[in-house]
Amino acid sequence: MSAKKVRPRLSKGILEMKFMQRTKAKVDKEIEEAEGREMYSQEITQKMLNSNSNYIMEPSFVHCENLIEGRLSFRGMNPEIERLLELEQADKLANTRHEQPTEVSDKDMASFYNAQQVTMQKKFQTKAQFKAKRNNVEKTKWQNKKARFHKPQEDDV
Amino acid sequence: MTEIVLPGDRICAAEELARSKKVILGPGLRRENEQVIACKPGRLHHKEPNTYWVDNHQQRYVPVKGEAVIGVVTAKAGDIYRVDIGAHDQASLSYLAFESATKKNRPDVNPGDILYGRLIVASRDLEPELVCVNSSGKKGKLGVLMDGFVMNCSLNLARLILRENCPLLRELTKEMPFEIAVGLNGRIWIKAKSQRETIALGNAILAAENASYEEMPKICENIGNILFS
Repeated sequence: MSAKKVRPRLSKGILEMKFMQRTKAKVDKEIEEAEGREMYSQEITQKMLNSNSNYIMEPSFVHCENLIEGRLSFRGMNPEIERLLELEQADKLANTRHEQPTEVSDKDMASFYNAQQVTMQKKFQTKAQFKAKRNNVEKTKWQNKKARFHKPQEDDV
Repeated sequence: MTEIVLPGDRICAAEELARSKKVILGPGLRRENEQVIACKPGRLHHKEPNTYWVDNHQQRYVPVKGEAVIGVVTAKAGDIYRVDIGAHDQASLSYLAFESATKKNRPDVNPGDILYGRLIVASRDLEPELVCVNSSGKKGKLGVLMDGFVMNCSLNLARLILRENCPLLRELTKEMPFEIAVGLNGRIWIKAKSQRETIALGNAILAAENASYEEMPKICENIGNILFS
């Protein structure tokens, strides 16, 4: 009693039919793969199959020693090459220069965006919320002052 | 810190490192199961974080995919050119592997021309294959090298010149304007304003093979003095 369910094989006659062409290609591929596995099963050891080695082979010195490109021109001998070199240099600089000097410090920016958030929140609050908040918040100095009529001084007039 | 290794020596430092993380083994090293063994005699180099390789003296070029080399066109055979790059076999170069080359518009390359090309196939069982365009179809710095002078040198010298911190080319620039193509196959093509300057340039480069970085400015200065006195 096998746990695996053996898939029924389609007969050759059906596979030859026109509407079965895609299935036929799939079946053919499966058969081919199975044959391939069988053919190389002697040569592929278990170690090759499930070895995850920590070694990477690098046949070139270029990457080991960080060699530069070997085509160079100096002092206007070959303007075409020198232009390419300049472009490369510019690219390299652009890639290495990550940190740009900032005009606004991180702290300033954070406080600015905090303030912005409060402003936006105010726009979306209901009237009730607005009033509740107004009563809760301690009033600043000028809000505490009771509005009163000030008699204008004589020389103001 | 460099250490001399001989073929067959085990590189314990690399094995140690491989237990915890990935290790890159460069030229001159090979892996036998879990052992790392040197297969060339030379100095063992280590680059942070995880690269090991052996730097040995060598004249014979072994093609490596992706390296730029200088070759001499030896024959035109139908759709391909045969190019001698000093390796085990002549490299092939398709006539379509040039910028804006089409079947009708063939590049003007003849036997005897010097080429600066990049290897795209390099296998010990196949003949190497060169191209003179980059992946986007532009010629970039590759292509036929006109005029100038080619000299053969050891592979070490070619690599020495191309190291980022090597002062040789910088110092030579102070003496004269010139153009250079260094093939990693141990061929150097140079071109200066006059024959005299080209010869002097060649001599300076060849003299630099066994010089230290400190001696290089002196060599260049000497050459300059001889030239312009």
